[in-house]
Amino acid sequence: MTAPTGNRDGTPLLEAHDVQRRYEAGESTVHALRGVSVAIRRGEFVAIVGASGSGKSTLLHLLGAVDAPDAGRVIFEGRDISRLSDAEATRLRLLRVGLVFQRFYLMPTLSALENVMLPMAEAGLAPAARRARAEELLRYVGLGERTGHRPTQLSGGEQQRVAVARALANEPALLLADEPTGELDAATGAALIALLQRLNADGLTCVLVTHDAALAQSAQRVITMKDGRIVQDTGASPS
Amino acid sequence: MRLRFLRAPHVALLCCSLLAGPSLLGAQTPRDTVIGTPTVPLAPGRVAPSVRGIAIDERIAQDAGVRVGDTLRIAAEAGTTGEPVVVDALVRRSADPSEVARSEYRVRLHLDHLQRLTNAIDRVDRFAVAVRPEAGPSAVDSLLAGVNHVAFGFRAHASRDVAVESSRTFQVVDRFHRAIGGITIVASAVFLLCILLLKVEERRRAVAALRLAGLSRRTVALSVIAEAAVVAVLGSGVGAAIGWVATLAVNAHYQRVFRTPLTFALLTPRIALFAVSLSLVLGIVAGALAAWRLVRTPPLTLLGR
Repeated sequence: MTAPTGNRDGTPLLEAHDVQRRYEAGESTVHALRGVSVAIRRGEFVAIVGASGSGKSTLLHLLGAVDAPDAGRVIFEGRDISRLSDAEATRLRLLRVGLVFQRFYLMPTLSALENVMLPMAEAGLAPAARRARAEELLRYVGLGERTGHRPTQLSGGEQQRVAVARALANEPALLLADEPTGELDAATGAALIALLQRLNADGLTCVLVTHDAALAQSAQRVITMKDGRIVQDTGASPS
Repeated sequence: MRLRFLRAPHVALLCCSLLAGPSLLGAQTPRDTVIGTPTVPLAPGRVAPSVRGIAIDERIAQDAGVRVGDTLRIAAEAGTTGEPVVVDALVRRSADPSEVARSEYRVRLHLDHLQRLTNAIDRVDRFAVAVRPEAGPSAVDSLLAGVNHVAFGFRAHASRDVAVESSRTFQVVDRFHRAIGGITIVASAVFLLCILLLKVEERRRAVAALRLAGLSRRTVALSVIAEAAVVAVLGSGVGAAIGWVATLAVNAHYQRVFRTPLTFALLTPRIALFAVSLSLVLGIVAGALAAWRLVRTPPLTLLGR
């Protein structure tokens, strides 16, 4: 299988240095992150856990250049991504970061194959190449026979696997997933966990936010957050 | 003048215009169609037959069951015996919107017959003079000026002036239709914009996911605009097709009601093309507005975070 790419040389792929993020909620200010520092090494499988409002999704958004910190820096592949323009951040997400959400957010009018081909078209891949890679990715996630089906013709687990395939479209270095099993039953959730483990085993760096204990247990490293801070990290490098 | 149509079981009032000219079938408007067997025009010095021929409206023929060759009696005054006449021809009225709502019947007689019947030997209301096709507008104007210079008690008009005068009502109606069209376009544009905004609102999360997956604002905006354009073109195409079917139904209904070949509703290829083109422009504008609103919003906000 050639879908994921990456290596396990142990060098940091992603680093957050004292990042802070706050939101204005009416007249009050919510401190979602209060100075978080973390380093994710290449090839790691990291689960970020914590209660609702602990800041784990906010951290994920900063790590994926979805959002920008109010203070601190995020370094991805040696590049500071905390002050990117919208176009630069969009390009980074297109080519280097794959995102998976609790809800699948597939385009309902497109087939599974077309959904997976979308980011490749945006990246400028030739039509034949993008079709071949999309078919390969769908086979990888176990949907090789359902490439022509639309999202409404697929089960929740199948839709999430299409979303994973879409996230892998441009061979990202990092896969970020926000509650990927949140909408799935136990059996399909377990299948998705197995898929993510396989992706990681093939070299892809995965960072997940989850409430799912089973998913958290499957990770090599668990980061626990509370009130916008990391309170426990099972795999932190000794400083 | 009123004539009583005596053969019919019911009494029908006939309104007859005096026609000048040598032929019985000198049509009141050039586009009236003579159907049936026309009578040979009276030649100068020729003696009229004892039973004269007339031409009647096709409507009378239909309502009273009269056919060409039937003998009728006509009289200038109600209650009098009248005289026998033979139906020589039927006249189908032209598609004249100024006459569409008129329900009276018409009978055409030879001029000398009409003059004798009405005892109006030296009186006509109006008559038409045809000019040769090769005569240009300047020749007509010159002729009119000459006639009007010596005319006493009447006035000559060019047919184009008469047409302009008689069509003023329709010019007002035309402006009214344009106003309705303008209002419809504005309302349609607002409706289209609202529909597109709603459609975009429905897809906020999917669009957010695409933006997060790396699709640029430009790509998202272009896709929204392209979709809007396609929807607008398809919608206007379907609308034009429905409109065309509606024109067939409207024309069939009102042509039957008013017994006229007049076209009441018209959808030409040019109108259809204009509608589709306008719809395309409106669709693109509405799509651009919807897309602008969408791509300005950060993806996380679109996701409700």
